[in-house]
Amino acid sequence: MTAIYTAFGLVFDPTVLAVIMGSALFGMFVGAMPGLTATMATALLVPVTFFMAPVPALGAIVTATAMAIFAGDIPAAMLRMPGTPASAAYADESYEMTKKGQLDLCMGVNLVFSVLGGIFGVIILIVLAPVLAEVAINFSSFEYFWLACLGLTCAVFIGTGDPLKGLLSLFIGLAIGCIGIDPAAGQPRFTFGNVDLLSGINFIPTLIGMFAVSELLRGAVTMEKGGRVVAQAVGNLMTGVGAVFKKYWFNFLRGSMIGTVIGALPGAGADIAAWVSYAVSKKTSKEPEKFGTGHIEGIVDSTSANNSALGAAWIPALVFGIPGDSITAIVIGVLYMKGMNPGPSVFLQTPELIYAVFIIFILANLLMFPLGWAAIKSAKQILRVPRNILLPIILIFCIVGSYAMTNSLYGVVLMVLMGLFGWLLEEHGVPVAPLILGLVLGEMLEQNFMSSMIKADGSLIGFLSRPIAGVLGVATLGLWALMIWRGLPRRASRAALGADGARG
Amino acid sequence: MRFNDAVVGTAFLLIAGAMIAMTFTFPAFPGQNYGPSLFPRIIGGGIVMCSLLLILREWRSGGRPWLVLEDWARRPAPLASFALMLGAMVFYLLASEPLGFMPTAFLIQLVLFLWFGVRPVMALIVAAVMTIAVQYFFGSLMRVPLPRGILDSVL
Repeated sequence: MTAIYTAFGLVFDPTVLAVIMGSALFGMFVGAMPGLTATMATALLVPVTFFMAPVPALGAIVTATAMAIFAGDIPAAMLRMPGTPASAAYADESYEMTKKGQLDLCMGVNLVFSVLGGIFGVIILIVLAPVLAEVAINFSSFEYFWLACLGLTCAVFIGTGDPLKGLLSLFIGLAIGCIGIDPAAGQPRFTFGNVDLLSGINFIPTLIGMFAVSELLRGAVTMEKGGRVVAQAVGNLMTGVGAVFKKYWFNFLRGSMIGTVIGALPGAGADIAAWVSYAVSKKTSKEPEKFGTGHIEGIVDSTSANNSALGAAWIPALVFGIPGDSITAIVIGVLYMKGMNPGPSVFLQTPELIYAVFIIFILANLLMFPLGWAAIKSAKQILRVPRNILLPIILIFCIVGSYAMTNSLYGVVLMVLMGLFGWLLEEHGVPVAPLILGLVLGEMLEQNFMSSMIKADGSLIGFLSRPIAGVLGVATLGLWALMIWRGLPRRASRAALGADGARG
Repeated sequence: MRFNDAVVGTAFLLIAGAMIAMTFTFPAFPGQNYGPSLFPRIIGGGIVMCSLLLILREWRSGGRPWLVLEDWARRPAPLASFALMLGAMVFYLLASEPLGFMPTAFLIQLVLFLWFGVRPVMALIVAAVMTIAVQYFFGSLMRVPLPRGILDSVL
């Protein structure tokens, strides 16, 4: 119990609350701007959190991402431009509602169900994480090796349109992770005698490059002058939301459930949760013909799902140190920087930090209601901020943030190279999220792999001899077999078609 | 600018080949069967496999043109915007040490603002305010040693 009291003390500190408030506003703004994603918000926040204590640092990330995922709904409904990819699934539907003059209802439903879905995900996180941690405390390198493999496999096959390119991206990430001193024997690898490379590829400048600089490069060629004009005025948001809840409460529960499960799966996050729950909603609806014409049902499902996925993504991150999506991949990087290596032992050694994260999560979701309301009301002004002013400012933040991580130009060089590389990859349909996961998990994967190899003396049976490791290993191998089997016959025609479809 | 998958695959095939070749220079540890070269070799093998599959897939599907230029890459204005954005970063790398953070950041913002069509007065004000704000926040509050350059005596 004392840990909970300590946690409350840690969170309800004026500085921490101020940080939470500030990052909430930041998250709202970034999320509401089309073209600036929640991942980008996190990437830009990390250099700032680098200088904070663990609790405000985590608080800033939790709050900013929660706000950004909701705020993405605002331009989706008003301009048909999703503010973050997580809102893309129902952007058309929301915009159709706006065209029918139901902007108020649409925004009200988005706000209320985002808050509720977010809280749903957090409750599952609070209930499940400590239980799983007790199981995970007995895990050895075998279990962690298989868990990491399973997580990365899911990331590739659920999270990407073209699994082959996702897999390539993952291997590239793991290869980049090999640069530096190897974790088992201390041998420098691929450093070319460079002192900076000896410490490995710094994670934060890579992140800023891949998620922010590549976005700036894309933004530069599609620059439109001036801001966007929102035609419709926003009235009373809460009218009719109660009726929607009464009619579609089951959709809310189902959407949140799907969001939680997908969020908790390593590698798949809020955007996939929204797509899946929207599709499920359409499939099981009594009036599927209304979908796409401005029908609220699918929006209830998917707006609940993307917010609940956010909290659930922290389950594998906190318990196993395996990220649930690209945002928690960043969180894991931050946790390592703060010296609190994620894993079950955090629950034993510093439970107050875990509780503090839970409290911040609840706080952030509650804060979402008034702030989200204010953001919707002032959306006209927010969306009017022109991109030709925003992009150069973001560039300066990227540069300073990367510089601050190494206190040298090495960080900036890394950022530019990774930004260009990330841009090239995305241009060719290779997603960068698996690469980031590979980079974050690379060292842990290699460490567990090497110690397992040495313990089992190179035999595969040794990898499967412990009961949980056996189950995880068989599941992973089964998944690989399934993927190879499914991939073989369609490699020629359908995969190529699918890749083009996903791109276009 | 988009190469077809066969070109992408070939590029990564070469990189992975070089990577695997380099692992043979790593020293082996006596009495230890599994050394620092094992994991990179597996990863390199993975890249080789993916690259070969990409090439095969492109070849089987009939092959698209080697290089497709998107619409923006043919028009001079967006191309210049792209180059300028990248150029701004390179300029920072070259100029921040001798000039200092503040003049470099100010110049970068001003040029980009003007190029992207922000009105000159507005561009000047925003560039100046943001430069000072970032210098104050990161330089003073967060104690990041941003290069002082020519303003060394003033700051």
